[in-house]
Amino acid sequence: MTIHQKPHTQDNLEDGKRQFSVVGKSVRRTDTFEKVTGLGKYSGDIELPGLLYGKMKRSDIAHALIKNIDVSKALALKGVKAVLTHRDVPRILHYGSPHPRSASCTRDQYILDDRVRYWGEGVAAVAAESEEIAEEALRLIHVEYEPLPAVFTVADALKPEAPLIHDNGLDKNNVMPPVVIRRGDVEKGFAEADLILENEYVLGRPVPGYMEPNVCACQWDGNGKLTIWSSTQTAFMVRGILAEVLGVPYNKVRVIVDHMGGGFGAKQDLFQHEFLCALLARQTGRPVRMEFTRKETFLGGRTRHSGKIRLKQGFKADGTITARHARIVLDGGAYGSHSPGVTTVGTSALTSLYRCENVDLEGRAIYTNTPIAGAFRGYGVVQTYFALDLQMDEAAERLGIDPAELRLRNAVRTGDLAPSDHPVVGHGLEACIRRGLDEVDWKAARAATAAQPGGVKRRGWGIGCEMHGSSAYPGIKEQGNAIVKMNEDGTVTLLTGTAGLGTGAHTALSQIVAEEIGIPFSAVQVVTGDTDIVPWDIGAFASHTTYMGGRAAQIAAAEVRRQVLEQAAPLLEAAPEKLAIREGIIHVEGANRSISLKEVVSPKRGMPAAQIVGVGTYSPTKSYSFAAHFAEVEVDTETGEVAVLQVVPVHDLGKVIHPIAAAGQIEGGIQQGIGHTLSEDYVIDLTNGRSLNPSFVDYKMPLSMDMPPIRTIILEAAPDPGGPFGAKGVGEDPIIAIGPAITNAIYDAIGIRFRHYPITPEQVLNALRAKQKEAA
Amino acid sequence: MKRLVSMTVNGEEIELAIPPYRTLLDVLRNEGRLTGTKKGCDVGDCGACTVIMDGSPVNSCLVLGIEAEGATIETIEGQHAGPDLPHLIQEKFMDHGGAQCGFCTPGIIMMTKALLKENPNPTESEVRFAIAGNICRCTGYAKIVDAVLAAAEDLRKGRTL
Repeated sequence: MTIHQKPHTQDNLEDGKRQFSVVGKSVRRTDTFEKVTGLGKYSGDIELPGLLYGKMKRSDIAHALIKNIDVSKALALKGVKAVLTHRDVPRILHYGSPHPRSASCTRDQYILDDRVRYWGEGVAAVAAESEEIAEEALRLIHVEYEPLPAVFTVADALKPEAPLIHDNGLDKNNVMPPVVIRRGDVEKGFAEADLILENEYVLGRPVPGYMEPNVCACQWDGNGKLTIWSSTQTAFMVRGILAEVLGVPYNKVRVIVDHMGGGFGAKQDLFQHEFLCALLARQTGRPVRMEFTRKETFLGGRTRHSGKIRLKQGFKADGTITARHARIVLDGGAYGSHSPGVTTVGTSALTSLYRCENVDLEGRAIYTNTPIAGAFRGYGVVQTYFALDLQMDEAAERLGIDPAELRLRNAVRTGDLAPSDHPVVGHGLEACIRRGLDEVDWKAARAATAAQPGGVKRRGWGIGCEMHGSSAYPGIKEQGNAIVKMNEDGTVTLLTGTAGLGTGAHTALSQIVAEEIGIPFSAVQVVTGDTDIVPWDIGAFASHTTYMGGRAAQIAAAEVRRQVLEQAAPLLEAAPEKLAIREGIIHVEGANRSISLKEVVSPKRGMPAAQIVGVGTYSPTKSYSFAAHFAEVEVDTETGEVAVLQVVPVHDLGKVIHPIAAAGQIEGGIQQGIGHTLSEDYVIDLTNGRSLNPSFVDYKMPLSMDMPPIRTIILEAAPDPGGPFGAKGVGEDPIIAIGPAITNAIYDAIGIRFRHYPITPEQVLNALRAKQKEAA
Repeated sequence: MKRLVSMTVNGEEIELAIPPYRTLLDVLRNEGRLTGTKKGCDVGDCGACTVIMDGSPVNSCLVLGIEAEGATIETIEGQHAGPDLPHLIQEKFMDHGGAQCGFCTPGIIMMTKALLKENPNPTESEVRFAIAGNICRCTGYAKIVDAVLAAAEDLRKGRTL
């Protein structure tokens, strides 16, 4: 891992000479000892006396009305304490994802409905004395269905005779009105083009595959207050929607998330079991835990949107893009979840990355009777930049321009309008491409692959680029909050509502606080994950935790520093602005006088300590991070297998807070990206909607032996004034650029352009055979 | 009908009354109150529940609790010496960023311990082979492999498992 730092130049990014003492160092993470020792408590680890075990009965039909549910046998089973069906739960239409009233998600779900819309939808829930009894009870529930016609593809869902999956007042099965973006004059642009390319790109259906299956535990106290331990990225959103649907005030719902075993976006949604667990606990008067099986994480989880993209671009001979026209159709599955947000973010992403003044873009999401597509790392941009960056490679070849050079010529630059309608800050993309070209010695590498003799195994190098926003603005106006409290021994407590998915964000926030105040990292303790204690936060998603939550923490810490200096000033007989805090010692600048921070804040004889608390609130607009990925692959022309030999990801993060954690995000994103590009696809039986591979044996994720060496390079080329010390997001970026890099490398190796993912060995082999036939 | 089973877990002999159909994983987590061992799939696909049983790594979801009668079991909770006193492998996972969400971590650490006991000087590909049955979805494995190799290096310098 390499970090290239260069002085910041913008006023609000501190002065260029600033020496960092905590930020930029890979301190030991605050959550890591509990993780490596097994002492950390995940939501499924909470021990509650009298615990009952909840289980959900799921439909084995994709689209049907429930005519009757007979639960009498289940209720009669010894050890069963409660059974709930649609007749027993509040019928309140709610948002599928708990961003209340946000334009990013739909309001089309009930806790349980009298109708099922996909194979695997929950129809009833049981609470019993043991997991085994609960499972047995599920088998005793008899559901009588009246089948409805079902559609499993977007094409079928759009046919005139297709059943209406939701009656939302829109054209046939549209989740929301189409996302339309038009700028300039595309017709004129195409008329000016020397080369026009038009292709269709087909996108598979990967799943997040987080290691911790969804789980929650619920307990009501004697005063009618609910405590829920849940594996969620959005504790406050869960609180809000649970309170509203259950009909209790917000202060009677307490959501606790301590450690969490990954989410990758999908655990932003509120799932059926979270409502049902609360209701079962209320009905039985006992705590209840509901935990998904691995299979249920597929059936009842959230997938990335599959779909098709038709992309047409015009190019001048010098590589200038004259027009871009795209039609994006995504499969939303049976409920809308994040479809509006994913479609909007993915579609608008095509206004940028590579400059183009004339764009005509339209994105749609369509309901089908398949598992729900939701938020998943990359949020629509994985899909649209896959199409865009594959076509760039094709254009480069047709124009006789090096593919990296074509990208450089068109790369988004400072001041350009970003997809969010803001001016882009800095030349981050250009910096990433140039650094990567040097690192891999691109010209020599490509010359070597071009010159390789014919053989069974053929190598290729490819490039892929991306930019991604930190924060969901303008879809959601977000907010991060932090409270920083100075304790009377000079230590500090940070209270943050940000969620800890496993990224190390709480450590980064603690580093920011230590840096801002001028105390050692070890002097900061971070308190997280309890909605009764920490300030409100919108949740961990949109690559914004360090950017937004970190900035809020920085603002709160700056206020604490201000108050501390105010206390110290009379003791040091100097004006507060003449004072600086370093390593917990307050110095008078330019004079040989100092006092320890502890001495300033500790109680004096007969006197209480000063109450020093800083509150930070931050509502960001948006910043963009950039990346260029370079991948080398080897294609076995006898088996069709594609091995990724090495990846060189170059990312611009503005300012890196914790290098190891940032690199870990990048390397993990690449793992997931290699997965969806080469092997991962959640397959639905197109005759009945049944899931065909809901397990880790049949759904193929890259494992230790599949992962290539990754040479991670982090740049601080374009710090953003909106982030703490210039820092921007990193979570989603790495999963976007790797797919195009690999696919373009495959072309370099064997001369076949695949325009879909995943690219399986079978398809590679078939394509090679077809090419051979053609040549013969 | 519950059955009494005795086993030695992390050096302590315990006796538990368990249903005969319950897996060792569920027994450890429920009756044993040792929730550090994780359930990622419950069918032997992911390795999150790896423990060391009589010296060999096993997926504890594929072993019945009653099969552990008389066995010696090592779990993640038994590895560190106390607060702030991590086991060598744990220390390396912390320092190298080998744990992100942490859900696969206990299983991978136990698998690493089994590997290093057998082969204190593994190559990178031997490390990757050893943890091939342990799914991690966060790290891309790079920092996990770094951590294991660093632990092996310290073993060669005289530290012990």
